[in-house]
Amino acid sequence: MLRGQLQCLSPRFLLFCSFPSSAASFSILILILLLLRRRRRRRLSELKNIAFSPFACFSRRFFVSGMEKERFFGGGWKSAHAGLLPEVSAFAGDEHLPHSFVGFGWEQPVHGQEAHAQQLESALSSLVSSPSSNAPDGNDSVVIRELIGRLGSICNSGNVSPSSRCHSAHASYYSTPLSSPPKLNLAGADHQRQRMLVNQVAAAPFLADQGFAERAARFSCFGAAEAGQLSRVSSRQSLAKEVAASYAMMAGSSSSPEASSASEKLTAVVAEHNARKRKAAPKGKGKAAAPSSSSAMDPPEEENSDSKRCKAAEAGGADKDAPVKPKTEQNSSDDGNAKPPEPPKDYIHVRARRGQATDSHSLAERVRREKISERMKLLQDLVPGCNKVTGKAVMLDEIINYVQSLQRQVEFLSMKLATLDPQLEFDTETLLSKEMHQVHVPLPQQVLFPLDMATSAFSLAQLPLKLAENPPDSMFSSLQLPPIDHLANLWEDDLRYVVQTGFPQSQEAPFSSGALRAE
Amino acid sequence: MVALRFLRALSLVRCSGPGARSPSYRARGIRRAAYACMAASAGPRRAWSRALLRKIRRRPGRGLRRPRAVIRRRRPVGGGDPLEVALRRLVPGGGCMEYCRLLEEAADYVKCLAMQVRLMQTIVDSASHVNSID
Repeated sequence: MLRGQLQCLSPRFLLFCSFPSSAASFSILILILLLLRRRRRRRLSELKNIAFSPFACFSRRFFVSGMEKERFFGGGWKSAHAGLLPEVSAFAGDEHLPHSFVGFGWEQPVHGQEAHAQQLESALSSLVSSPSSNAPDGNDSVVIRELIGRLGSICNSGNVSPSSRCHSAHASYYSTPLSSPPKLNLAGADHQRQRMLVNQVAAAPFLADQGFAERAARFSCFGAAEAGQLSRVSSRQSLAKEVAASYAMMAGSSSSPEASSASEKLTAVVAEHNARKRKAAPKGKGKAAAPSSSSAMDPPEEENSDSKRCKAAEAGGADKDAPVKPKTEQNSSDDGNAKPPEPPKDYIHVRARRGQATDSHSLAERVRREKISERMKLLQDLVPGCNKVTGKAVMLDEIINYVQSLQRQVEFLSMKLATLDPQLEFDTETLLSKEMHQVHVPLPQQVLFPLDMATSAFSLAQLPLKLAENPPDSMFSSLQLPPIDHLANLWEDDLRYVVQTGFPQSQEAPFSSGALRAE
Repeated sequence: MVALRFLRALSLVRCSGPGARSPSYRARGIRRAAYACMAASAGPRRAWSRALLRKIRRRPGRGLRRPRAVIRRRRPVGGGDPLEVALRRLVPGGGCMEYCRLLEEAADYVKCLAMQVRLMQTIVDSASHVNSID
């Protein structure tokens, strides 16, 4: 179909050759653009977005030259030219052409237009010749990915990120080994990822070693299979690290005896790891992949590559290895303990304990159960008299009783307050001034504040003594009685009662932290 | 924070109806004020405080409901555990939460409730003490 379209265009092509070369280039490019637009409209627009900005300056120079045709094509020119070059390069299917094209575009914008036209013609000829190979849709995506990857390498990596939604994943995957990994939204399905990884590997131009490409693809398969067991989708970083590890593998080399010893050591570690899962640890993945791959793959060179991979991954993540190893030993020593402190990453790490089921459902359930028990412990600290009680049901019962009693108390106290003499006045102005001081008060002592405020309010209302010289800071330094010397002695008992009854330090810690959190 | 709010609210309640209203009406008003102050000081981050404020602000006489799309009943309760059901009824906004979240909210609610009770107790004690002095 494409060939037919091109063939019908060829007379027009010849016609335009008579024009000045820049105009010819314009028209040719636009025609090709229109042609290609029919085939894939959407991808082109996306590619335009990709390639727009770096080519903008290129196209701008053509604008400056002031051709009329330019103005005519003006609106479409930028997009056409920008979108077209990559398409042309894609269709050329030649590795050298896009680079030369772009190089030409960057270096010689205005001069050498004849050479430019010649290059365009050569591009077109190759374009004519190669459409048949690009007819099947399967290749198109690969070509597009390749193209995007090349663009990613050529342009800034930042330009790739505003690219297509559907191709962003591919682009980012591709450019990961090339440049700093841009933002990526993983599709999430294992087989999809696997396919993408395989495609990525297939499309990578510098994976010259076919055998290694296969190994890397298999590695990605294992990674995907392993990921299927994990209960959370791994992040792009882990995959980037995997790819980096695989490439580091490629760069490095190891002899077979080293590899065997390394693999032995690694399998020993992995055997320990086998019962546990470690998410987002490429090293873990590599290690887990190692025994499975070694069992599956007979040829020693596969093992070599895997051990190489693991070795590089280990070398790459050596800093992680140290905390992991003692942790695993600790875990193996005491099984019944709660999981070790989680490293601060984007999501929760879960470690399957020794001798327990490792599928995602039970893992998630265990996480949930542990969360619930954690919360129950918190509640236990809050509710007085629950330290001796064990068991969820009894605890819950106690909690419910406590909440009910608190609510009843609120009712009772509000009734009491209502029946009290309404002649009491609350001096809110001084309270406000006090609150200004409160801002500087350290928060853990915030708890003392309400009661002191209450009592001071009453004191202000009733007695002419001013509490201004009774700074709140002195009150909050410790749990001692606030200086009440200048207060009437009448308040002393009251304050003592207040201070003594309500403030065991153990209760205040979660309390104040809760207040802190709440505010 | 709570104390200031509550004291202000108390003074408002007292000023609004010193002798015209019955003490029970005032008591209800004070109770409402107490819960409102508690929820306001807890902040909008807590589900229970939001639910509580919503409950307080929603006057029972108002028929017109705002057509705001509130996602209620995200997870209707399995209803297996009677204790859990009871807890859900106690904690404001507890009908729609997961169990884990419910426990968390219950902890925070208990904390704030306890503080409120202590505050009110202090006020009552001081007031009664003041009264007893005179």
